[in-house]
Amino acid sequence: MENIIEVKNLTKLYKKKKAIDDLSFDVYKGEILGFLGPNGSGKSTTINCILSLLNFNKGNIKIFGREMSPNAYDIKRKIGVVFQDVAVFEELTVYDNIDFFCGLYVSNNNKRKKYIEDAINLVGLQEFKKYYPKQLSGGLLRRLNIACGIAHKPEIIFLDEPTVAVDPQSRNNILEGIKKLRSDGATIIYTTHYMEEVEMICDRVIVLDKGKIIAKGTTDELKYLAKIKEKITVEAKEISNQNLNQIKQLPEVQNISYENGILKISYENEKNNLENIIDFLKNNQIKYRKIYSERPTLNDVFLELTGKELRD
Amino acid sequence: MIVYKTFLKVLNKCKFPIILYSAILLFFAGINMSSNDNTMDFTAEKPNIAVINNDKEEGITKSFLEYLHENTNIKDIKNDEQEIKDALFYREIQYIVYIPEGFSDSFLDGKNPQLEIKSTGEYQSELADMIVERYIKVAKRYRGSTDSDEELFEKIDETLSKKADVEIISKMDTKTITRLTRYFNFSAYSFIAISIYVISTILFIFKSEKINRRTIVGSIDYKKVNAKLLIANSGFCFIIWAIYFICARILIGEVAFSTYGIYFAINSLIFVICTVTLGFFVSHFVKSRNTITALINIIGLGSSFLCGVFVPMEYLPEGVLKIAHVLPAYWFVKNNELIGSTEVFSGDVIKSLVINAAVIIGFTIVFFVGSNIVTKKKMKAE
Ligand SMILES: Nc1ncnc2c1ncn2[C@@H]1O[C@H](COP(=O)(O)OP(=O)(O)OP(=O)(O)O)[C@@H](O)[C@H]1O
Ligand SMILES: [Mg+2]
Repeated sequence: MENIIEVKNLTKLYKKKKAIDDLSFDVYKGEILGFLGPNGSGKSTTINCILSLLNFNKGNIKIFGREMSPNAYDIKRKIGVVFQDVAVFEELTVYDNIDFFCGLYVSNNNKRKKYIEDAINLVGLQEFKKYYPKQLSGGLLRRLNIACGIAHKPEIIFLDEPTVAVDPQSRNNILEGIKKLRSDGATIIYTTHYMEEVEMICDRVIVLDKGKIIAKGTTDELKYLAKIKEKITVEAKEISNQNLNQIKQLPEVQNISYENGILKISYENEKNNLENIIDFLKNNQIKYRKIYSERPTLNDVFLELTGKELRD
Repeated sequence: MIVYKTFLKVLNKCKFPIILYSAILLFFAGINMSSNDNTMDFTAEKPNIAVINNDKEEGITKSFLEYLHENTNIKDIKNDEQEIKDALFYREIQYIVYIPEGFSDSFLDGKNPQLEIKSTGEYQSELADMIVERYIKVAKRYRGSTDSDEELFEKIDETLSKKADVEIISKMDTKTITRLTRYFNFSAYSFIAISIYVISTILFIFKSEKINRRTIVGSIDYKKVNAKLLIANSGFCFIIWAIYFICARILIGEVAFSTYGIYFAINSLIFVICTVTLGFFVSHFVKSRNTITALINIIGLGSSFLCGVFVPMEYLPEGVLKIAHVLPAYWFVKNNELIGSTEVFSGDVIKSLVINAAVIIGFTIVFFVGSNIVTKKKMKAE
């Protein structure tokens, strides 16, 4: 696989506080790389360092095999960035905003016109071209923010939490758009603290906590890291303490919790767990409304690796 | 190009205050004009004078009196010392001529009999003085060149009536020049307000942290973007200057394109360069859109009141004018007043003009250097 970005031993201090600590990773051509981490874990700082927006204390960054620097305009030409905070002109329409930011890369008017249309179609703002940012809902504004960052058809796209505080409709639109960009050939670095999104669109994930990489790989590889392999939830109003103790003793059970009539059992292995618990419930004549099994999520992985939830 | 295009689009969204600051200028120029309208009238321009004639009403004296009747309003006043004093004091007349006994004969003899004159020293009396002198000058030129006295009077009359038109126009110019002076004085406020408003607003928007970050990651050298913004901002202010100059021509008249107009134009151009650098300097201290309005009020209105932009300098107290020395608008207004009151642009006048302009240029350099220092400090802080 071709490395499009190489980050080696990147360290950044704000005053004396280490925001990122000895990060090393590669980004492969054509992938969507997820950057997963809780607030303050250093996702934005990493992106800003890669883009030469921030000076860093140690490390080395190569893009397209070349050292990145503030004056590397030919590298910059092939990069698109969608920052975490919406950054658009309040005084310009949707169309004119995209026009300006695209114009920082593409000077040919006709080419730019076409690019703007493509970007508007991608994020689904066709009906809002003449709107001013103030007139857009939060979700639409985020879409505009994305369109401004990707209109020039970059080869590498950085998206820093583009779906924060966005309604489900816009979120789906944005995620679909990102997949489309990848299928058009772009390489994408996607930052988020929503693990569902990572599971939906990312080919690979880097999990960040306190400025350090605590895990990386495909979602399946990461999930394999977790000790829990299956989670079964039972909705039953009454389970005696004795029965609960017995469930704990069942094979492969790692842990159980019972609260408000909801029993959660985690297993270390995925062999016949559902069958076993159903048998147990039947034999002990415990009535239940629902029973279902789940695979572990990245949140479980994160919980195990750090001892805390990804999101509070 | 995209930077200029976006500059204009953003400015278009923020145009209201620019229109307002210009409208104020044109509005006051308009008011100024209508209040001066009757003085434009030639009949109203005729000075009120009195003539005490101790000579016989014949010969050159007769011709002279006819000429005065035509070009001035001659009031009937008794030949009484006290009455004449009162008439001058209460401005019933601005000027009085005593024609001595034997004036006509002595003049035609080739001598130079003196006319006794009293005047209030006002503009109107100066005009009367000019009218009198003109007659004497012309009469002296033709004296002795004709066969008969009749012929002489005819020649004098002919020359004077021809020349009169030209003279009237030049005299009316004094009034319009005063108006032009007021107009350019007032423009100081508009120039300061618009320079600060445009430059601060544009830079506040384009250089806001978020938008700036997007510009920096772009593939155009952001120093070039900055340079284009500088050109666009300055260019816009110069266009405003040109428009005001053209407005002066439309509202006040052809005098805007005369020598006076050119001096005013150069002076205001130097001042605009100064307000542009002031605008860039001030823009560093803008933290919000509200700060911009506050700065315009403090600097724009402050300068205007202290430096005689709204109220002519002669009505301002000494102390205020002393303070005003530290403001560029003071030197701009001072130059305007000097231009407006000059008849002939002699070396001395030009020297004074250049000195005042140099002070304005000095301020420009201070703002420019100050601006660069602040920029460098900001860069270091990052
Ligand atoms: N300008 C700054 N000065 C000082 N500390 C900073 C600055 N910017 C970020 N930090 C600190 O660096 C750490 C990493 O911040 P960063 O913004 O990269 O996190 P993040 O993963 O992007 O978080 P979020 O999900 O909230 O966007 C945090 O502890 C933050 O407080
Ligand atoms: Mg962030």
